[in-house]
Amino acid sequence: MSILTKMLKKKQVQRKNDNYRQKLDPSKPEELVIQKDYSANVSRIEEELGHSADLVIRQINIGIVNGALLFIDGIVDGKGISEFVVETLMDKQISSREVDVFQYVMDQTVALGSIKTITNWNDLYNALLSGCTIILLNGYNKAISGETRGGELRSIAEPTQQLAIRGPKDAFTETLRTNTALIRRRIKSPNLWVESMKIGKVSQTDIALLYIKGIAEEEIIQEVKERLQRIDIDAIMDSGYIEQLIEEQTFTSFPTTYHTERPDVVSSQLLEGRVAIIADGSPFVLTVPALFVQFFQAPDDYYSRFDLSTSVRLLRIISFLIALIGPSLYIAATTFHQEMIPTTLAIAIAAQRENVPFPAFVEALIMEVTFEILREAGLRLPRAVGQAVSIVGALVIGQAAVQASIVSPVMVIVVSITAIANFSTPVFAMAIAARLLRFALMVMAALIGFYGIMVGLMIMAIHLCSLRSFGVPYMAPLAPFSGPNQQDVFIRYPFWAFKDRPKFIVKGNVVRTGENQKPKPPKQSSHKSDKLEENES
Amino acid sequence: MKKLVLVFILIIFSIPILGGCWNQRELTDLALVLAVGIDKGEGDKKYDVTFQVVVPGNVASGQNGGGGQGPPVVVYESSGDSITEASRKATKKIPRRLYYAHTSIVVIGEELAREGIYNILDPMDRDPEFRTTTVVIIAKDKRAEDIISILTNLDKLPMNRFIKTLESAEAMLGENIKLNIDDLIGAITSPGKEPVISGFVLEGSPEKGTSPQNISTTRPPAMVSVDGLGVIRGGKLVGWLNNFHVRGAVWLLNKMKGTEIKFDFEGKKDAVTTTPYLSDTDVSVTFKNGKPFANVDIDTAFKLSEMDTDFDIEDPHKIEELEKKTSDVIKKEVEAAIKEAQKYKADIFGFGERIHKSNPKRWKELKDDWDNQFAKMDYKIQVHSYYRESGVRGKPFWSDMNK
Repeated sequence: MSILTKMLKKKQVQRKNDNYRQKLDPSKPEELVIQKDYSANVSRIEEELGHSADLVIRQINIGIVNGALLFIDGIVDGKGISEFVVETLMDKQISSREVDVFQYVMDQTVALGSIKTITNWNDLYNALLSGCTIILLNGYNKAISGETRGGELRSIAEPTQQLAIRGPKDAFTETLRTNTALIRRRIKSPNLWVESMKIGKVSQTDIALLYIKGIAEEEIIQEVKERLQRIDIDAIMDSGYIEQLIEEQTFTSFPTTYHTERPDVVSSQLLEGRVAIIADGSPFVLTVPALFVQFFQAPDDYYSRFDLSTSVRLLRIISFLIALIGPSLYIAATTFHQEMIPTTLAIAIAAQRENVPFPAFVEALIMEVTFEILREAGLRLPRAVGQAVSIVGALVIGQAAVQASIVSPVMVIVVSITAIANFSTPVFAMAIAARLLRFALMVMAALIGFYGIMVGLMIMAIHLCSLRSFGVPYMAPLAPFSGPNQQDVFIRYPFWAFKDRPKFIVKGNVVRTGENQKPKPPKQSSHKSDKLEENES
Repeated sequence: MKKLVLVFILIIFSIPILGGCWNQRELTDLALVLAVGIDKGEGDKKYDVTFQVVVPGNVASGQNGGGGQGPPVVVYESSGDSITEASRKATKKIPRRLYYAHTSIVVIGEELAREGIYNILDPMDRDPEFRTTTVVIIAKDKRAEDIISILTNLDKLPMNRFIKTLESAEAMLGENIKLNIDDLIGAITSPGKEPVISGFVLEGSPEKGTSPQNISTTRPPAMVSVDGLGVIRGGKLVGWLNNFHVRGAVWLLNKMKGTEIKFDFEGKKDAVTTTPYLSDTDVSVTFKNGKPFANVDIDTAFKLSEMDTDFDIEDPHKIEELEKKTSDVIKKEVEAAIKEAQKYKADIFGFGERIHKSNPKRWKELKDDWDNQFAKMDYKIQVHSYYRESGVRGKPFWSDMNK
């Protein structure tokens, strides 16, 4: 223990400040302010950016005043700059000294939608590096910043991870603004609030916090904000960074935040009182608080009728269990509880295992590890050689392995059904949890049979019940059990009965469906039937 | 800390539920015993026990498809003064651990059955591995080892053959009863009831039946078949019920699932055959003049399955006659069965058990001399049969040709 603490203590070295903001000395306020001499300003920027190749500086002359136009190539809309900034600036020639050139340029020349005046270096760098165009004019200790973000970006495409048979086909992209727009298009309410902040000392990544005012609980919003503000890290490369820094319990294989690439899912979760976190550069949006049952809800569940979606959801839960305990059941049944297997099957398995040199556990472990290697290889392999994996994979897990007397045919089936079952979990993060715990349960089964599996599952259940996601019990509404909140757990209630938002997340504004929403056949009016009879006669 | 303690308490509490099977053993280290045969010892030991062990590779289609070359089962013999001794001694010959959880049949030799079966039932009742759903049969006139060693066709595993034969004959003919260890012990221990055990006979030569030749021809030289019910009294086989006696007993025990009944009609011998397919038997025992008296009430529904005479099937009078004749045959069979059982002084129908339940006071007086009381007992049998259908035809196809 003491050695561990010593090691940890030794490593604590002063964190270096890589951020420009902290480099400035607040005691010298003149350093923070832009100077009047524009060429001095330009050379200072050049110097501080290390004469970076992508910094474009264009000298301009508007009659009597000299100036410069600065932007970072690649992250700006080049066409827009030349058309609406450069062209219009060059058209104007001011000869009179009485005109306030700065104001004139701002008001009458730069034809951009969003334009700002900047007076200090901090804002200047933030604007410049996030794709704005900066105009510096000689004799003014301020700069104009025009919104010209653009450049090459991935367009909105179909989701690649969370597919649905029915429902919208758009997915988030790497651009924060596109992502917020996708949600805004779905919820046209002034109550959809978007807050923004920057996280990452070096990367200065834009983060947006979305929630619906009046539905989401203030406490949860505050908690999310606090946790986000606490983050002190170099960079945010993906929302996965944020997930790992704000979750409540690190030592768990179960995800306590939900991530999705589908704007429809995020929108519906916002309407259930959750808070969404979007990180610039990541097509995966986080929503919190996340519940265990949520990971078995697929978008299709709500787009198709309730009977169908309920049965499919139950199927998903069963396949999660198969993925979790499939191989361990096989191990336990063949090495401890042979009486549980029907006689004919027992004889068949015994016959197959006659030539297998390994005990059932080792056999299962070989096959499971092989499959995991295959899966990982399939993920990493370059597309061009991707086919090789499926060819070789069919050999390793299949007839060839059986003929080589390394495994029995039953084991191949067990591994295959486990693998397929694992893929039916809608959210990959939950599938990984089952994949990981499967091995632990296999060890337990090999040690003490069904008893071991039960002990393993019990420990798992206790662990799950101890988890919380932003103050909400992870297993709600199962533990603590809440009857009225079972509307979206095992059975997805039909929409007319799907009345309440989850009450453990939303406390005040809970009703989502009005009264008398159950569809009914139209009432046969007596007047109408009389008319019919008349016509007939 | 509290949580940890709670976890351990939960684990400890689940031990009694899930315990009992702790030692690990691979399927390939086990010899799955499918059938056990118990005979009276021929040598100096009390019992000769035979174990029918499956050879998995020869049964299931293995890696190369199709069964193996040898026979699907192998039979090991062993003897001992107790069943356990014989079982443990058998391991001298068997390379694997004998595993009884898949044993589905126990065959008792007739000679041993006549001497008593209490002793041999105890180890099977006691062993947690042994299933109480294991079926018990008696090898009629033969030793159990002969029955156990026969190779059978249609069902590769001889024990499947036994069980399925019992089941199909029970459903179609109603001349036997599938009885497992649990039922057997239940009937033995229940006051005022004696068990009956189905018998199996071996037709043909026992020597030829053990060779693969038996399953490679269309007419096997040795065959096993269901035959008769062994009547047990005081744990000993006292005699056999055969043919229609068995059927009468099955009616009385309310185990009838289906059978055939033929009778003379309009003067022609064996002209009509009917097949009862639904039946309910209600037995109550009352006292008449201070003596026990059994009321047997049988309701059954039947189909007409064969007719060798031409009559109008839609005539209500004929139907009434059909119903009456069917009832008469059943009544006769049941009477005969009761008489036969009374001859053996074995209350296999559980009349005494009914008194014990309905009138425990009288039962106390009767129970010591029940066997004799039963033998003298009077009874009344009422049978109601109901005609339901005549198949897909009314009159026989030849009825118009003759005209």
